[in-house]
Amino acid sequence: MTTEVLWWIFAVAIVAVSAGVVFARTVIHSAIFLILSLAGVGAMYLFLTIEFIALVQFLIYGGAVTVLILLALMLTRMGIAGRPEPTTGVQAPFGALVAAGLMATLIGVAVSTAWPGDLGQNAVAVSIENIGEQMFQNFGAPFMITAALLLVAFIGAIVIARQEDED
Amino acid sequence: MSEFPFADPFFGLSWLDAIIRIVIVVLVMTLVVVYLTYGERKVVARFQMRLGPTRTGPIGLLQGFADAIKLLIKEDVRPRNADRWVFEFAPYLTFIPVFLVLVALPFAQDWGVRNLALGMFFVFAVLGLNIVGVLMAGLGSGNKYALLGGVRAAAQMISYEIPLVVALLAVAMVAGTLDLNAIVGMQDSRPFILIQPLAFVIFFTAMLSELHRAPFDIPVAESEIVGGYFVEYSGIRWSMFQLAEYASLWAFSIFGSAIFLGGWAFPFGEDWGWGWQLVLTLIKSLIMIMLIFWVRATLPRLRMDQLMSFCWKALIEVSFALLLVNGLFLYYDWPEPILAAVNWVGAILFLGGIYLRAARKPSTKNLVGSYKHAEVPNP
Repeated sequence: MTTEVLWWIFAVAIVAVSAGVVFARTVIHSAIFLILSLAGVGAMYLFLTIEFIALVQFLIYGGAVTVLILLALMLTRMGIAGRPEPTTGVQAPFGALVAAGLMATLIGVAVSTAWPGDLGQNAVAVSIENIGEQMFQNFGAPFMITAALLLVAFIGAIVIARQEDED
Repeated sequence: MSEFPFADPFFGLSWLDAIIRIVIVVLVMTLVVVYLTYGERKVVARFQMRLGPTRTGPIGLLQGFADAIKLLIKEDVRPRNADRWVFEFAPYLTFIPVFLVLVALPFAQDWGVRNLALGMFFVFAVLGLNIVGVLMAGLGSGNKYALLGGVRAAAQMISYEIPLVVALLAVAMVAGTLDLNAIVGMQDSRPFILIQPLAFVIFFTAMLSELHRAPFDIPVAESEIVGGYFVEYSGIRWSMFQLAEYASLWAFSIFGSAIFLGGWAFPFGEDWGWGWQLVLTLIKSLIMIMLIFWVRATLPRLRMDQLMSFCWKALIEVSFALLLVNGLFLYYDWPEPILAAVNWVGAILFLGGIYLRAARKPSTKNLVGSYKHAEVPNP
């Protein structure tokens, strides 16, 4: 009962801050709303009793949103903090098209997928040992391939971003 | 929510028990913070052959309270071009993560606010959120120095989080668990600093950086950017930043002493009861804090490019090597004394390398950005 009430409070809060991400007038405000939204999703994982995923959510997205803010700061014409800036331009219709297409795809996939049976009222707590075994033994190869892919992307990003001294 | 096990709930109600424990820990934390500010001023003053605060109360013992009252009655100023909500919420967002960390710390056997099975991971995850508050303060103030401080802090904290986490994971591999209470319980005969000294060195360095303590106090450097991200704050909001800073200093010290110095367990184990365990935890955390103050009073501040290249070119590589070595030892079940010996050799080589690097004249070749034309005087 208590969990259900809390779940609804968090659900409403997540939708509200997600709307904030879209409607905020400055990039910085959007990014701050985004971290609130991601933290709310982390709380949702806690309700599902998978603390590990919840903590990963906080750990990864805390840093990721910070980097996002830094990039927004460097790549946009941001004046003095808090001043609204135009967020629409000639590309707005294309953006709307892509967003609508993505939303349609996601909804279509979510509806058409045959989800495995409901776990029932009592969610099963997943132990960290179990996660580790799955990740490093049963799914070791995909894990390592992902790691290699990320490493290549990382090195590529460094090579592209590196400033060569010319002067 | 009953998935978090805890030792003995007061009155049998888990939520009431949680509230009582939180209140006790927060009250103690506030008192500790007041005396840490006093202690830091006193210790650093002694290092510099001064006396530090002496006037308020006997040997200045009430100085912290006097400062707190002064801060509370000071006017809360907000610059006109500040971004109102970002500016006002930033202090809370820096403080809340530190507050959450206190939930997982083991103060005595099975006596924290909650004993989490993923305790160590919880501490990393929550401390990482600290950056958002700092960056918000820097961006929201509408001040160039604050912005520079916030961006410096973000770059520094994101970079140093990696060696911090990897070094602690190396210890967690040896311990075989992430449960802080279990990790401490394993150390009743020998603290992990004897087995994993290299991990301690990396952890301590990265901790100094995460806490913005000297020699890594670049985001708050007074002489360069007049105080960094909290330059526009005053009164109660400024004191929240200060509270967060010293509370995280204390939390990190307890966390580090639990993992490396044996927390409540070493050297008496469970025999001497929780009173002694609390005293041991406090003494060990004070040793860590004293070390931090000592480093602050001794070393000069690094430059930003030195800071970044030290993290990315030295600390991260060494910490990954440590992870690999520990993995080899654990996989082949090689004996613990050899693991300890290898780690000691690594720690001595690493510290010796830093010493030699610091002792010789720094190279001015291959500097980047505005440091390109730096001149280094002959020693």
